[in-house]
Amino acid sequence: MQCKRLVILVLHAYARSSHYFLIICLGTSAQQLDASFSTNATLEIFEVDFRDPSLDMKLRGSLPASNRFHKLILGSFANGVSDSSSGVIVGGGDNGVITLYSASQILTSGKETVIGQTEKHTGPVRALDFNPFQSNLLASGANDSEIYIWDLNNFSVPMTPGTKSQPQEDISVVSWNRQVQHILSSAHPSGKAVVWDLRKNEPIIKVSDHSNRMHCSGMAWHPEVATQLVLSSEDDRLPVIQMWDLRFATSPLSQMEGHTRGVLSVSWSQADPELLLSSAKDNRILCWNPCVSEVIYELPTRSQWCFDVQWCPRNPSVFSAASFDGWISIYSVMGGSLEAQQKTQADKISSAFNNPDPFGTGQSLPPLQVPEQVVQTTLIPPLKKPPKWIRRPAGVSFAFGGKLVTFGLPKAPAQPMQQVTPRQVFISQMALQSGNLLDYCQSKIQAAQNQSEENLWNFLKVNLEQDSRTKLLKLLGYGKEELQKKIASCLGNGIPKTDDSAQIAQPVKAPNNFTEEVTAVGAASSSVFFDNLVPQGMSMLEIPVTTDTDGLISQALLVGNFCGAVELCMRAERFADAILLAIVGGEKLLRETQKQYFAKRKTKISLLLSFIVQEKWQDIVCACDLQSWKEALAILLTYSKHNEYTQLCDMLGTRLELEGDGALLNEACLCYISSGNVERLVECWVKTHETSSPLTLGEGDGAESVH
Amino acid sequence: MVSVINTVDTSHEDMIHDAQMDYYGTRLATCSSDRSVKIFDVRNGGQILIADLRGHEGPVWQVAWAHPMYGNILASCSYDRKVIVWKEENGTWEKTYEYTGHDSSVNSVCWAPHDYGLILACGSSDGAISLLSYTGDGQWEVKKISNAHTIGCNAVSWAPAVVPGSLIDQPSGQKPNYIKRFASGGCDNLVKLWKEEDGQWKEEQKLEAHSDWVRDVAWAPSIGLPTSTIASCSQDGRVFIWTCDDTSGNSWSPKLLHKFNDVVWHVSWSITANILAVSGGDNKVTLWKESVDGLWACISDVNKGQGAVSAITEGQQNEQ
Repeated sequence: MQCKRLVILVLHAYARSSHYFLIICLGTSAQQLDASFSTNATLEIFEVDFRDPSLDMKLRGSLPASNRFHKLILGSFANGVSDSSSGVIVGGGDNGVITLYSASQILTSGKETVIGQTEKHTGPVRALDFNPFQSNLLASGANDSEIYIWDLNNFSVPMTPGTKSQPQEDISVVSWNRQVQHILSSAHPSGKAVVWDLRKNEPIIKVSDHSNRMHCSGMAWHPEVATQLVLSSEDDRLPVIQMWDLRFATSPLSQMEGHTRGVLSVSWSQADPELLLSSAKDNRILCWNPCVSEVIYELPTRSQWCFDVQWCPRNPSVFSAASFDGWISIYSVMGGSLEAQQKTQADKISSAFNNPDPFGTGQSLPPLQVPEQVVQTTLIPPLKKPPKWIRRPAGVSFAFGGKLVTFGLPKAPAQPMQQVTPRQVFISQMALQSGNLLDYCQSKIQAAQNQSEENLWNFLKVNLEQDSRTKLLKLLGYGKEELQKKIASCLGNGIPKTDDSAQIAQPVKAPNNFTEEVTAVGAASSSVFFDNLVPQGMSMLEIPVTTDTDGLISQALLVGNFCGAVELCMRAERFADAILLAIVGGEKLLRETQKQYFAKRKTKISLLLSFIVQEKWQDIVCACDLQSWKEALAILLTYSKHNEYTQLCDMLGTRLELEGDGALLNEACLCYISSGNVERLVECWVKTHETSSPLTLGEGDGAESVH
Repeated sequence: MVSVINTVDTSHEDMIHDAQMDYYGTRLATCSSDRSVKIFDVRNGGQILIADLRGHEGPVWQVAWAHPMYGNILASCSYDRKVIVWKEENGTWEKTYEYTGHDSSVNSVCWAPHDYGLILACGSSDGAISLLSYTGDGQWEVKKISNAHTIGCNAVSWAPAVVPGSLIDQPSGQKPNYIKRFASGGCDNLVKLWKEEDGQWKEEQKLEAHSDWVRDVAWAPSIGLPTSTIASCSQDGRVFIWTCDDTSGNSWSPKLLHKFNDVVWHVSWSITANILAVSGGDNKVTLWKESVDGLWACISDVNKGQGAVSAITEGQQNEQ
């Protein structure tokens, strides 16, 4: 019976990206012969659809190959035109031939199935590997230490990683490093492994076991640690898997001993470095934790050697095993029902040939020596420790009241020895703002087809913002700052004549129109209400917004800028308006306005008004014409407060006394009397008598009477 | 925007795999690779260990609180292929039911809306989904959907017991006839929708968009709007939002929320269904909100690595 070598891969960029098939590619092996000694070769592609519960392997394509295979791999390389969706199958042949097949052409029974072929190698090509970083780079190894690096974009001329290692011997495996893309390793049956640096174009390190009993059958780089690799030995005297670390390349880091006969194949899970599969001539398939060199899993015993085990690169829990009796089995380390896969294989493979006498020997093949198929009832047990890919490391969940529960891996402890890492769960409170509504409005504003739409979104946006009233005013065209500037420039340049206003009014017209528009809309619907509200016959309220004084004042009023409005009124000498507005504008403004008014307005009584309004009693006392002393005193009596009154009266009295050249001493006395300042009164009274002694002589009684 | 109000040190001895608050947000249940399930009272920012539940013989993947009308009930599922229902009686938590009907790791448990009774859906790596219904007197009835997802089911999530659109079209008087539905996600890269017809569970829809294992599905709570929504996340780093506008529930359309650089492990809807929390393999949690024009936007990065959470929060507190 034909035996198959096998490679398994899911085409990543399969034509229908949502459909995920497992593509298994089988080729006739060069290392086994059946009784017919036929050397015919075939390449077949099988497909497993995991969504099909029957898990049948379906033959999707088959073609005769020119020679039998030592090694088959699938790559995701796509060479543009013909192969854009599928991958490439590479076969390492008997006599130094490497053939590239287009997977999609085989699957669609196309004609251009072979996309490249080379006979550069001199011996059988046993080792092939695609670079995990650059899908166009392929490494191959054959006899006499031949290693070539092929660029599939330019398949004719290969590169070499360096001068051939001596002594020349077969290459059994080549493998690209999983972390560093320019590092390649090759292994020889003698047990030696060479690591090449393609940048330096030379071997950088050689690894070999001193026992000289290693017979390398397999090699695999650590999926995560760039300096570590495993080598497996096919020698029955040393059926081990060695773990090497290139940092200490004098002896293996550890040795996995469990197989009783030579190890045929190893495969390291890319999804969990703690899972390494090995198959050996003792018929066992073991799964190791290479970190602790422990068998963590053993597949139920089989009757045949498995010469190839491989993790499925696409589906981390699935692996396949190919055995010398022609079976390809697919297993899942998660346990379950995948074992059922096995039962259909032999049938499928034989039917693939579809010919009772495929090799032209003149006799049909005897019926397959396949044991009676019984639906497997034994289930594959799952791994004891769950694989890394199902251990959820982090999570989040919402809870009542906007609470958010989160957890994740703790940060790696500073010292590896520190065993206890805190396992924490965080409960957070969410407080979300409606920030994106603003963005939404903004985008709507930008996309607005017309002015009114834009205005609408502007208004909605502003409504969501803080301090929306100011911003609304601004939208209406009444920005406080701009208005302030306008007023300032107006006050600076003088007031434009009202006649010109029509032209100058243009800039503010648009928002003005808009407001009218809005009012119009509102008014139409509720006009009846307003009709009732506004007393009939009342004149229409006009709000001019021109750039003349009227316009500016009214604009200032619209935004509550009393200060500006008053200033404008003052400028236009509309003092009454100014004062009225100032009253509404508050105490301070009123005072200021009064001050300005009095400064500007010079009439007979303006000073008096000013003093009274501004309550400058002292000024009155100081500034009044002495002839008007009565009036001054009257003012004091009327307005001044009690505590100042005395003082003010005294001041007035003093003025009368000193400035009146003695003529007003009597009046001064009256003032002192009003203030109740007896001392001053007496002094003054004495003075009165001194200056007018002639008079007083005749009026002595008067003096006495005063006393 | 998001501030940590309570940091619960669970004292789990290994990786935590799930943490869920109860209905009222007063208790926190956690589960871990150390095989234990713990319940904490977390009221007022405190943490009091109420129960340390031992019974699983492998890592415990998920926990789920039942609706409080049935009492204090928690379900947990584990790599040991078991589902355990825990109940609080007179202040102590005890195992009340153990289900051992799966052949592989049970990855997800989810309680049905309380309107349907006490029903638990369980998804397993053996590809099957089990539905455990409490029939009274300590008895549970088991229905099993075999081969729901070939080579493994990773997540289950129930549809809300609200008729889509009920907010707009007021149901006329009598109680509407709910159809029980749930969503599941699996290693076949599919999200599947299931519905019960005449007591039998049938596959209703296959939603295809992911290119790798679906890690989690979450059916959004309904607030009575006519649209049904499901979020799904995957090993391929993508999160899809699936929506269905028609009442028959047949035409679902996917919308890519985001493509992350790492595995997305978990999606969770807020109670009002307007915010989706996404948690990825890089320890990062992001919050997403649908804008008014139907685009999904990231509104918050909760943390960059858990260590940073506390740091950020301390910073925020200092600012306040």
